[in-house]
Amino acid sequence: MICVRCSNESANVVAQAPDGSEAWEIIYCSKCNFSWRTSEEDQSIASEKRDKMFQLEGSALDNLQVLVPLPPLRIKT
Amino acid sequence: MASRDFRDFLGQLEREGQLVRLSDEIMPEPDVRAVARAAVDMVDTGPAVVMDNMKGYKGKKLAVNVHGSWANYAVMMGMPKTTGVKEMFYELARRWESAPGEIKRVKNPACQENVITKNINLYEILPLFRVNPYDGGFYLSKASVITRDPEEPGNFDKTNVGLYRMQVHGPDTIGLNIQPVHDIGTHLRKAEELNHPLPIAICLGVHPMLSVMACTPLAYGKSEFKFAAALDGRPQEIAKALTSDLDVPAGAEFVLEGEVVPRQRSAEGPFGEMPGCYSALRSQYRIQVKAVTHRNDPIMENLYVGMPWTEHDTLVGLSTCVPLYQQLRETMPEVKAVNALYKHGLTVIVAADNKFGHYAKTVAMRVASTPHGGTYAKVIIVVDGSVNPFDLLQVMWALSTRVRPDKDVLVLHPTPGHPSDPSSDPPGIGGKVIIDATTPAYPDKTGPEYRLIENVPKTEIFHKRIVELQALLNR
Repeated sequence: MICVRCSNESANVVAQAPDGSEAWEIIYCSKCNFSWRTSEEDQSIASEKRDKMFQLEGSALDNLQVLVPLPPLRIKT
Repeated sequence: MASRDFRDFLGQLEREGQLVRLSDEIMPEPDVRAVARAAVDMVDTGPAVVMDNMKGYKGKKLAVNVHGSWANYAVMMGMPKTTGVKEMFYELARRWESAPGEIKRVKNPACQENVITKNINLYEILPLFRVNPYDGGFYLSKASVITRDPEEPGNFDKTNVGLYRMQVHGPDTIGLNIQPVHDIGTHLRKAEELNHPLPIAICLGVHPMLSVMACTPLAYGKSEFKFAAALDGRPQEIAKALTSDLDVPAGAEFVLEGEVVPRQRSAEGPFGEMPGCYSALRSQYRIQVKAVTHRNDPIMENLYVGMPWTEHDTLVGLSTCVPLYQQLRETMPEVKAVNALYKHGLTVIVAADNKFGHYAKTVAMRVASTPHGGTYAKVIIVVDGSVNPFDLLQVMWALSTRVRPDKDVLVLHPTPGHPSDPSSDPPGIGGKVIIDATTPAYPDKTGPEYRLIENVPKTEIFHKRIVELQALLNR
């Protein structure tokens, strides 16, 4: 399934409405970690209706802001 | 009266007319966010709202706006729900002096009445909703997150309870947004230097004072549990987690137990944050959930944060003011009150007597050098000790009539800044503006001599009379 945010073929259904109503499913993208409910507004879950500022294109995922870099490993003495 | 746990507090709110139950069928999106927005827009008196009929989650309970009004905050404090903000500030400061309080260990805690260790699916266990439309996923925005110092796991006082944004990723994985300045940041740095997973407990629906302390800038080595006990006037009840040696709140509605995976980062965000805008998609920590425990008929708690004012502001406001007040008062008894209600203290208003020329600037620089003020406290306003910093009409009077543009406005740049502040560029770098709105003191030149107009005597008597007459009109 194609992710509505990063457009990769890396999204899968991971959950169903737990009350058995079949009201919605949850879809999760293992590439960009976006998840959505199939019953949400188009603004959030339709790629063509989403604000372009929140879409991921090209190498965006490889250039994310890092607030906490990995610290050096302690060398055992 | 102090409450025992989250559920007990909800009962108190209901008895005070500060909790409503909404059983209308609603959609998780966009309805839950609209419910929370509507409740928090009633800044002074808005009730908590407990929903139990979200489509797809029918029967599951979700509470929002629990700390979302000053009336609810007053109930938590055991004070009349009409108590003013300044009065609650001084009462909180008074109780602060009695910290640390006591903890009480209990066995067979309510939070472990039910245990899930297989096929964990957070999307089905928890009634989740997208807080704002462009959030990267479904967020836990009001969880108390518990970790220990990996080098001193036996030091209870270095156990940290903090409130951080967390994004549910896969069914049993969670993204965790952390900054180096956070206490958990110290725990994570040490764990990653050793390449060890860090045990973590994510607690939802905890004692209301513990939620307050989880977002209070306490010094490293001060226990949030013990401060919550002191402020609440009764011991905090804790119990051992099932999969680690962590201590968790015994009465928590849900506890998600797991580990932070060392030396890995993955995409987290964006998330609509407290400044009223979305913060960036970032590369952040990831948690692997190993067990979920919960009470019978659990009540999930979450927080709506968006364009201010929201529950975030009430939740963190007064407990941001008090530590700053205490830290300033250690060496500056001239400080009378601190109002840091705005965006977790990005703006701070201090009332202080100006004991000699330009002393107010020294007070402001002390604010800027406190642990919290170093990255927050971008706009620092100092008013006379006689001005009520919680009364913005008085503050605006002081700004309008006291400030000399050539002498009383200082700009410091660059300094540390707060990454969530959209004016922090690059995120984490910022500046300070100090506005001295106090009366000049010798040897500063005081300008032309003048006299303030005195307060009008007997005003209170006639205020009551006018209110009576107006009430008669409204009958």
